Amino acid sequence: MAEFGTLCLLLGLATAGWAVVASFNGWLDRSGALVLSGERAIYATWGLVALAIGCLEYLIFTDRFDIEYVASYSNRALPAMYKVSALWAGQAGSILFWLFVLCSYAAVVVAMNRRRNRPLMPVVVTTLSSIALFFLLLVNFMARPFVGLSQVPIDGLGMNPQLQNPFMAIHPPALYTGYVGLTIPFAFAIAALATGQLSDTWFRTTRRFTILSWFVLGTGILLGGWWAYVELGWGGYWAWDPVENASLIPWLTATAFLHSVMIEERKRMLRVWNMSLVIMTFLLSILGTFITRSGVISSVHSFTRSDIGPMFAGFLGVSVIVSVGLLIHRLPLLQSEHRLDSFVSRESSFLFNNLLLVGAAFAVLWGTIFPIISEAVRGVKITVGPPFFNEIMVPITFGLLTLSAICPMIAWRRATPHRLIDKVRIPLGTGILAAAVLFAAGMRDGYALVAFSLCAFVVATTVMEFFWGTRARMKATGEPALGALWSLVDRNKRRYGGFIVHVGVMLIIVGITGSSAFKQEATAVLARGESFGLGRFALRFEDIVSRDDPNQEFLGARLAVIEGGRQVGTLEPGQNFYKAGQDPSSEIAIRSTLREDLYLILSGFDPQAGKVTLKAYLNPLIAWIWIGGGVLILGSWFAMLPDLRDRRREAEARLSAAESYATS
Amino acid sequence: MRPRSLRRAAVALAAFVSLAALSPAIPARAAGAGIQQEVEGRLMCHCGCSNLTIRDCACGTAAGIKADIAARLAAGQTADQVVAAYVSNHGEQIRSAPVRSGFNLVAWIMPFAAILAGGVMIVGLTRRWRGRGVAALPGPDTLAGGATAAPADRDALDRIAREIRDTL
Repeated sequence: MAEFGTLCLLLGLATAGWAVVASFNGWLDRSGALVLSGERAIYATWGLVALAIGCLEYLIFTDRFDIEYVASYSNRALPAMYKVSALWAGQAGSILFWLFVLCSYAAVVVAMNRRRNRPLMPVVVTTLSSIALFFLLLVNFMARPFVGLSQVPIDGLGMNPQLQNPFMAIHPPALYTGYVGLTIPFAFAIAALATGQLSDTWFRTTRRFTILSWFVLGTGILLGGWWAYVELGWGGYWAWDPVENASLIPWLTATAFLHSVMIEERKRMLRVWNMSLVIMTFLLSILGTFITRSGVISSVHSFTRSDIGPMFAGFLGVSVIVSVGLLIHRLPLLQSEHRLDSFVSRESSFLFNNLLLVGAAFAVLWGTIFPIISEAVRGVKITVGPPFFNEIMVPITFGLLTLSAICPMIAWRRATPHRLIDKVRIPLGTGILAAAVLFAAGMRDGYALVAFSLCAFVVATTVMEFFWGTRARMKATGEPALGALWSLVDRNKRRYGGFIVHVGVMLIIVGITGSSAFKQEATAVLARGESFGLGRFALRFEDIVSRDDPNQEFLGARLAVIEGGRQVGTLEPGQNFYKAGQDPSSEIAIRSTLREDLYLILSGFDPQAGKVTLKAYLNPLIAWIWIGGGVLILGSWFAMLPDLRDRRREAEARLSAAESYATS
Repeated sequence: MRPRSLRRAAVALAAFVSLAALSPAIPARAAGAGIQQEVEGRLMCHCGCSNLTIRDCACGTAAGIKADIAARLAAGQTADQVVAAYVSNHGEQIRSAPVRSGFNLVAWIMPFAAILAGGVMIVGLTRRWRGRGVAALPGPDTLAGGATAAPADRDALDRIAREIRDTL
């Protein structure tokens, strides 16, 4: 089976290579047969990579420890769910999985564009198959998943215990689906630049791919935060680890693109900037993979380090040269058709929104790579840790929140201050009122007051947008209120889906602010029957508990949670001891409510004295981060749904593309 | 809206935006914050299992360092002295953030300098684009100036009318 998997990857290398050659030459020679052959080679590559994935999973499920990858990341007792996720637990498997996601996207794009975007498709296929070829080179020669072992162990080493968590089974596929999805708008942008077909087709065609990748990447980031929260046992969810940063950076530039592309759609402006953003986002996603896989910056994710760094650096360099070269070549064709009329306009507010989003991405990138710069310049390696990022990102986030509140209320082209202030009155008043109420209630934390009141400002703006739109629709069409509201959002799903996303982001910020500004913690060493207090809770140690299953043994402490003299629950923090011999991992116990999370870690156990050492955190409002994530997903899905205007535009675009292809 | 209330609203908006911009300078009163937590936040845990400060890390190494910090502070050392002692033993890498002097100042300045430069560029480009373009044309606000509907309604009505036209 391992030989068959190796053969599939070698054949995949050949079919991807053929896809590059056939599509590129088909485009140059205007040969429909070659173009078609290149597209079929994409399907073949997808099939071969899928077979290779199937082989590796078969080897993992059949405990074939004569294969190095299986012996390193699986063991006999590993539950079936983690045998599936063992595929991306190590470097070779995760690159293979990445490749599979890329080939799946490429196959879907080819299938969806059999009859449309024909002038662009040869270059789209060339770009996608070139990227697939790079990853196939890696899995064939650098990070090979089917390497055999000369000495076969009786059992495997098993998966890293921290990865044996349901969130970690979903988090990497979500991140990969997001990262790799950003390749699709990049491929279409490159095709538009190479062919000179720089109309709005490339970004309209890829709009749903961009939103899908953006929200899946965002979901992946949130799931990673959730995993860190429930698994790593430090009471937090984001440590500004280089690998976390690597996923956030392209998400920020993709967010900037999703906003600025609206200006291009509406005004045919910022065309160079939008191309640059798409290219930048793709390159940053590759940079993210480079950081994750090369081990260039030490981090908690070091289990996937290897020496493939130079290959990634080379690929990144070639990608920069090709894409920037094409962009410079087409600069004369990318002149804006409209100009800005005023500083106080929706267009300029989007420019400042983009400035802050790209500035945030730069700040995170800068902080992430500064240790390398310092080492190169001064010969001294330093740490750029959470305090740096928190301090830099807070003012940028506040700026973004202010723009999110004001931006939707500014008119296109030119807004008069009188009219803007008239519109901003109620949302701004709501923000100020929120700050006043919180201050009167005793809140004195400056950051928290500003953050909460800005969130109230943004949410009030969003509510007013729905209200004004519904009222205007009622006046224009005579529909009843609920009907008018539905028609309003149904006819412009992207706009109102975007507003729902804004609300989701605000809920996330409320959760982040509450849990960081008002976090409480306590440590205690307790004998049976003893208690300690945290906030309004008392925690009483009741007993030691243990459980045994084929993969692990659990040892923990049972604690009664007491509030106002009444027991309101029981928590069992503990440690899992894995039978495959891995280090034990903390099993956190959390009592979660909308108001706060009570978070317990068993950090020590003295069997002689019968005492346990416990660390407890009270994290206010943290559940709102995950709720906000749910709202963000909902809004993104809604924004992706087609509406009548989209269908009409797509039909027009298809017709115009077909006409231009026929006449050229 | 009357000019007086317009002025009041403008002042409120300006004050609100200034507060947002200046808020990092507002001292936060974190619950239980003290010199011990300050020192713990200035040092990274070197246990090798995380990218956390001593304050956040829950491992045994961090617990030992926390106890040592408490002992040093109890012995009369200042926060800076405790941090300096750790830096002399473990090197610059133990600091959780670069110091704000010398070359490391670049780390702190660069993100804001880049945003400032971008802002200046946007203002410059906008001026150029306004000069070249259709600045003399009235914007939609001006066109709709004589209408009787409220401003908020006017924007929404324009959009709704466009949407209805587009979907017909």
